[in-house]
Amino acid sequence: MIRLENLVKVYSTGKIEFEALREVNLEVKEGEYLSIVGPSGSGKSTLMNILGCLDRPTRGRYFLKDVDVSSLNDDELARIRNREIGFVFQAFNLLPRLSALENVELPLIYAGIPYSRRIKMAKEALEKVGLSDRLHHKPNELSGGQKQRVAIARAIVLNPSIIMADEPTGNLDTQSSIEVMKIFQSLNDEGATIIMVTHERDIAQHTKREVRIRDGRIVEDKTVQNRVVY
Amino acid sequence: MNIYESFKVAIGSIFANKLRSFLTMLGIIIGISSVITIVSIGQGGQSAITGEFEKIGVNIVEIKVDSNTSLTKKDYFTTKDVELVKTRIKEVKNAAPFFQQIGIIKTEKSQKRAVFMGTNSDFNKIYKLDILYGRFLSEKDVLAKRPVLVIDNISAKKLFGYEDCVGKTIKIGNNEKLIRALIIGVYKNENGALAASFAENMPIFSYIPITLSESIFEKTFNINQIEVLLENTKDSDLVAKNIIRLLESIHHNKDKYKAENLVKQLDQVNRILGIFTAVIGAIAGISLIVGGIGVMNIMLVSVTERTREIGIRKAIGARRRDILVQFLIESLIISLIGGIIGMMLGILAAFAIGSFLNLAPKVSITTVLIAFFFSSAVGIFFGIYPANKASKLDPIEALRYE
Repeated sequence: MIRLENLVKVYSTGKIEFEALREVNLEVKEGEYLSIVGPSGSGKSTLMNILGCLDRPTRGRYFLKDVDVSSLNDDELARIRNREIGFVFQAFNLLPRLSALENVELPLIYAGIPYSRRIKMAKEALEKVGLSDRLHHKPNELSGGQKQRVAIARAIVLNPSIIMADEPTGNLDTQSSIEVMKIFQSLNDEGATIIMVTHERDIAQHTKREVRIRDGRIVEDKTVQNRVVY
Repeated sequence: MNIYESFKVAIGSIFANKLRSFLTMLGIIIGISSVITIVSIGQGGQSAITGEFEKIGVNIVEIKVDSNTSLTKKDYFTTKDVELVKTRIKEVKNAAPFFQQIGIIKTEKSQKRAVFMGTNSDFNKIYKLDILYGRFLSEKDVLAKRPVLVIDNISAKKLFGYEDCVGKTIKIGNNEKLIRALIIGVYKNENGALAASFAENMPIFSYIPITLSESIFEKTFNINQIEVLLENTKDSDLVAKNIIRLLESIHHNKDKYKAENLVKQLDQVNRILGIFTAVIGAIAGISLIVGGIGVMNIMLVSVTERTREIGIRKAIGARRRDILVQFLIESLIISLIGGIIGMMLGILAAFAIGSFLNLAPKVSITTVLIAFFFSSAVGIFFGIYPANKASKLDPIEALRYE
């Protein structure tokens, strides 16, 4: 599904060059539930951005479903983000003026899906995260956990190849975190590929494979033992 | 994202900031409404002036013998020329010869200076004198060289002490030759009060058959002018040229005749008024630019405020074009709504000011279309920079924006 070959990302601010990623090699297969773990500044967010096609590597190659994504232009990347990747952010990143349903509709609008089908798909996605009764609530009328579930619904509504979650429980209390992790687990049980970036060990403990990153390099890549399963 | 969705998003964000959107529109409203008001009143003024000119006859052309050229007797017009002009040139409705000569009028009691204007019955069809008593000269009067005349009411009063002097006989002519003539009509002196106050010194203006004029003033008689009434005002210059060409071919001469036409003066007045309207309109148009800058300003604020929204939209699949169109449509809608409101206010203001000035403003479709076009052009022009800025935002940076 995903193959990174000698991936390098250099940030240059004037004279100073900073290597955020150094020769990263990684392979992710379909249906994997993977966490990328590391302290802040380790390069995990950079990796996440590149994996999510929000950013391009400086050197090296990134294959997503055998397509070399590093060579695509902006519009093609936008299409990949729309169709192949579902984002879940720490800060939810819902549009505050839109209802839950409208927020979930957004990727479908950019995919050019007609209204009636769009509504049906968005409702199904919200049903999957258990929010059928909150369709017309605005984000500020929802709890943190509910917001993140709307975000997950938005991420899965187009049935993407990969779900990218960046610290998805970072802004949530324990109870809400458990709810959200349960949803990720069931999505993975249904066959979804999930990559989760976190610095919390116990969140990584929910995933099946843990990739540890430090100073822009993968320092550990292991199968998670004693996995938390709900 | 299709256009319909873009419109929905744009309208949503305009309504989310109602006051701000309205204040932004206000610039466009003021700009468009002042342009519409000024142009409508200007065009109303133009058509009022045109109407005024038409009343006095813009479709009258005077063909004159140009006294600045060397002339012989052969170059002057004849009554036959007048007939030919009327029959040969199809745009000519009426044609009248004109010759005026100063002479004297003698009654039993007094003698006065008089201007005798020799012409034919068509003259009154051209200038439409207000006949108070009796009638104007007829074709028979001219053909039969009848000794008849038509005088104005003020002169009548001066001569007889009352206006209705139809049927009176007086003597007309010059120091050498006087003949008895019958007053057949009295026309209203349009100068009225003014003429009356100078009545003592003013000569008497009277119309006599051109043929009579020829026999009385045989020494000086020359028809140096033909009055022509055209069917319409269209192409009056061209028709005048045709008339002159016809006369030149009859007289075998060149460049001895000239045409004078009120249309030319009307054109000039209209041009001046047009320039005037355009200049004031352009000044008002500046406020439209100011309004456009207001739109740009607010769109830039909006882009900054919604940086995060842009980031989110990009992260979930919006292309640069989608973002560009979204913001462009937003500024277009603001300007268009402003333009429509401005148009309505402008028309209202034009009618309000018009009723004050006693002038009917003229709101043409062209004006409305131009206003419509301009407000959308302003929206697009001043929206492009902010929209482009929004579309170029880096999604990662935008998502990080607090």
